[in-house]
Amino acid sequence: MSCQGQLMTQAPPARPNPGLFKRNPPIAGEAEAIEAAKRGDAEAFAKLYNLHKRRVYTLCLRMLGNVSAAEDMTQNAFLHLFRKIESFRGESAFSTWLHRLTVNLVLMQLRKKGLNLVSLEETISPSGEDAPRRDFGSRDPVLVGSVDRVTLERAVAALPPGYRMVFILHDVEGYEHNEIATMLDCSIGNSKSQLHKARLKLRELLRNPSQSSQPSAPAESAQ
Amino acid sequence: MTLPVNIDFDNLKPDEFEHILPDLFASGDGKVSQDPRLKKFLAANPDCAALVSDLEIIAETARSLFEPVAEPSDRVWQNIQAKLQEDSSLASIDDDYINPDASID
Repeated sequence: MSCQGQLMTQAPPARPNPGLFKRNPPIAGEAEAIEAAKRGDAEAFAKLYNLHKRRVYTLCLRMLGNVSAAEDMTQNAFLHLFRKIESFRGESAFSTWLHRLTVNLVLMQLRKKGLNLVSLEETISPSGEDAPRRDFGSRDPVLVGSVDRVTLERAVAALPPGYRMVFILHDVEGYEHNEIATMLDCSIGNSKSQLHKARLKLRELLRNPSQSSQPSAPAESAQ
Repeated sequence: MTLPVNIDFDNLKPDEFEHILPDLFASGDGKVSQDPRLKKFLAANPDCAALVSDLEIIAETARSLFEPVAEPSDRVWQNIQAKLQEDSSLASIDDDYINPDASID
């Protein structure tokens, strides 16, 4: 599988995505703040930052797995946002636009750190003990019923970086396979396959919680 | 990878099921356990049914992670403000430079 990354440093194209609109409803006062920010209003910048800082930071933290790197990336994302805000045309939800921009910046950083130097097959499909077992396994009572959010969060942090990326983009952030394929420059089939492997690995981690206690290496150091 | 059109759901084998599972999850609303074509197969293969159930639970719980859980430190906003002010200062210098009406001290 060739799944080389695509660099997108420019502001993301504003295009409607009904799924993400559904998850990113308009926020009261946001539209006015955006217009004011386009005119350089400092208070509007502060308002937009306060409205979106937690979502952007959480996304960065999950993808990078490191507080310091996540804070630097959050700073970078908002600086990009404020410098490019004039190009936001309102054709998609502002938060959708901002998250796409953030994801692109994170992916760009991961590649700068070396993820693009190896085939993403290696990082998205780790071999050996990182790979999920392919057997169905026996029925296990752990997952019958529900998994709590904290437990899943811990298991996601323990995923190999490539699995974690696809899982977060699809199952958490709500991107479609075709969007992920574009972002990662791989086929839609690969995106589906990697997501499936990520879920299988999570199942394994959730059935053996001791494996989740050691978070996987930050994505930027994965080579 | 797309779902083959000629799948014999009535005589599906576990290894065939495993092969098409990523596409089954990606099609429709991802509720593989509710797919009427798989009712008979899942009833006859409890391990496969357990796998489907677990993966659905994981996907469903993942949606709850969409809401943010963490907050950046105050340092982040302070740095952003400092950089924006720097940008603003530079823009002002540029404006003065190209503006023939700007006063020169």
